[in-house]
Amino acid sequence: MLLTCAVSSCATLPPSDHRNFVACPIVRDTSTVPCWLAEYEGETYFLTIQTDVSAPVTPPWLGHRVLVEGVVSDEPRICGGIVLKPLALSVMQELDESCNTMLPAEERYNLTFEPPRPPGPSRGRLSFGDPNMNPQAESTALPRTFELHYEFDGKVMFRHAQLLQKILAFVRQSGATQVAITGYRAASLLSSGERMLEQATIGQHRAEQIAELLKGAGLTGVRYELKWEDVAGKADGIDDAALRRAVVTVR
Amino acid sequence: MGSSSAHRGNTGYVLNTTFRSSAPAARTRYASLALLALLPLAHAADTPGAATNGIAGHVPAQNRQAQAAPPTASSTVPAARWWVPGDGVPLAPYIAYPNAHGQLGILNTSGLIETRGHPFFEPIGKNGRACVSCHQPANAMSLSVAAIQARWRETGGKDPIFAAIDGMNCPHLPPDDPKSHSLLLERGLFRIFLPWPPKAADGTRIDPEFDIEVVRDPTGCNLHPKYGLKSENPMISVYRRPRVAANTKYFTHHGFGVFAFIGKNGLPAARDPDTGLPSGMNMLADARQPTLATQAIEAAVTHLQFDGRLPPEQLERIVAFERQIYTAQVFDNAAGDLMESDGPPGLGVRNLANGREGLLGNNITNYVIPLGEKWHQLPPSDDPEDEARRSIARGHDIFMFRTFWIKDVMHLNTVGLGNPAKRTCATCHGMHMMGMDIANGWMDIGTTNLPWAREEPENPWNPRDAQLPLFKITCKADVPPHPFLGRVIYTQDPGRALISGKCNDVGAIVMQQFRGLAARAPYFVNGSASTLRELVDFYDRRFNIGLTDQERDDLVHFLSVL
Repeated sequence: MLLTCAVSSCATLPPSDHRNFVACPIVRDTSTVPCWLAEYEGETYFLTIQTDVSAPVTPPWLGHRVLVEGVVSDEPRICGGIVLKPLALSVMQELDESCNTMLPAEERYNLTFEPPRPPGPSRGRLSFGDPNMNPQAESTALPRTFELHYEFDGKVMFRHAQLLQKILAFVRQSGATQVAITGYRAASLLSSGERMLEQATIGQHRAEQIAELLKGAGLTGVRYELKWEDVAGKADGIDDAALRRAVVTVR
Repeated sequence: MGSSSAHRGNTGYVLNTTFRSSAPAARTRYASLALLALLPLAHAADTPGAATNGIAGHVPAQNRQAQAAPPTASSTVPAARWWVPGDGVPLAPYIAYPNAHGQLGILNTSGLIETRGHPFFEPIGKNGRACVSCHQPANAMSLSVAAIQARWRETGGKDPIFAAIDGMNCPHLPPDDPKSHSLLLERGLFRIFLPWPPKAADGTRIDPEFDIEVVRDPTGCNLHPKYGLKSENPMISVYRRPRVAANTKYFTHHGFGVFAFIGKNGLPAARDPDTGLPSGMNMLADARQPTLATQAIEAAVTHLQFDGRLPPEQLERIVAFERQIYTAQVFDNAAGDLMESDGPPGLGVRNLANGREGLLGNNITNYVIPLGEKWHQLPPSDDPEDEARRSIARGHDIFMFRTFWIKDVMHLNTVGLGNPAKRTCATCHGMHMMGMDIANGWMDIGTTNLPWAREEPENPWNPRDAQLPLFKITCKADVPPHPFLGRVIYTQDPGRALISGKCNDVGAIVMQQFRGLAARAPYFVNGSASTLRELVDFYDRRFNIGLTDQERDDLVHFLSVL
């Protein structure tokens, strides 16, 4: 991670309703599932509740700082925190033992809704749907583009497994002969005005890894075309998480 | 030829004739695996893929060491409840064996098996062992340390399970000295030797993300000039419990959670070299073999010192047998019959054989181990059998519903739950009827990694020496550190990382099934829990659960009837 000031001495800032910052996450117990919070400039923000592998936003980790990129919503506070929505979270890779705050349950912070997945057994499903073990492409028309989105400085992780499966299935079902992959390196404009840059070679690594994974899954009979691009300069603090991506075009 | 034997338990079939073969049978040799060592070197860190010829890439190196180790002179003395390789006793369709908690059932769903000439039961390698040597029916198709010790006494250490290749701490040690077999005799551990650096399924070399250093080598094997890390065939030795060779439909399923990319990290799953289908990778402690067939090929080489590749017809017979054999506890000394027709639907070996595989059981529409309502609703009484059943039901409910903070578990807290996660035992142990992970099941809860692994601080008054090796793992600067252990990790067994070469797999171990626990102590991959109580105590200590004595008793009771 590299922190720099944006153009003209940190004069460029995200919009005022955006909160982009790095902080220790805080976990607060409730009578059902725990809440995840973070503090920034004296205010507490609600990040997410405990979910499971199928949720679009999954909780951060104690022992690591987290990059929060969110928008202040007008929803009622949850667990005492201002709700950020939409929200992207990135667990920082280096360990930070100072991130160790666990708060006990308090009646005033209990959830006012039933969590999609209770802390114990569920009612027979994951929070947001079961994985599709054998995805069939809606259409096999070529070309088709897929996008993988990453955490800051991140590569493929658990949440990419199903999308990779979908790409694999599509290539096989469509009879495609070429897979073009472009990996991007991006940055995040923080609310402080600092620009947080991803590793310089992450775009290349993202492209190469996807190709390697597809080959490892048996997709060896197609031609791979790899590119990488640096879009760090486009960070404006609005939707920087969307820039951390790889685009896979199947032809 | 011909001797009496007693392969039966309290309710078993009467079988009273045995035939001992005079020589290892079916020793058909195919082209030496050593030839397969001549494979290209390439970077393949994220591509486990599938073995091109059915033999995983690490096996040829193992074969070289297996053939280099001396075959131990062994003899096979028939003993009650001990299956001797090649003795020709038919395996009855159903047998019950006594154990400390009650009785264990072995159910062969295809009926009586003629073991004469059967490759699971014949000593097909050169050390006198058969598969059954270490997968004994009385021990839930695994091997208890009590049975190992009894076998040592009965045979004076001559049983083939004490073979030099892996039944000794290292093959160079004197074979008649029990100290040479201390890990097997005291903790039920066999030596698993794996090439370093690791090899992908196609034999290409994997460039590991970390450096490994031997900090402690009490067995002498990891630093041995012939068998160790610096030998001309570099090998790392770790010491592990044999796993249950039964109930296999469950952990080889193609249902929930098994697809081409591993749901925990997005990397490609290992594939069946015959069908190309992805594997759930739940068979061995480090998931290094994708199918029963590929596992059998490796086991013949490493454990039986079979020099070659098992012929297809023998492989088919081994796999078919492993697919038709089921084991579970069938009688509990306190709770009585576990196979009553109106009893808990998740107990007993017949329910197990009839259960559905590939189901996520961590929910209330489909329990991990279905107990039903009857034992939960027993009215208060002084009947000790009723109280035992209530205890089992309470133990089940702790397993399913008692929440605690699960923290710093690699491949659990990193997979969408957050760290920590407030969940239950059944969160990880979610496979219906089995209690394994439904998907690719390796995690690190600390059974082999410090600081949680069983280690005793040294002091001048402690006469006990450390038994297991200790490795120092240093993650390279160009990869992220292990999320919970950082860049330097000390471990007794790097687990999955010995196969993947990945820093975050260090100490990650594929969890074992819950069946037949009463018959196969000790527990955990390194035998570090000698009883079910110690196993429960480990979790209580590791996760600060705060179990009461009563809750511990109930959990132990629940686990002992599975």
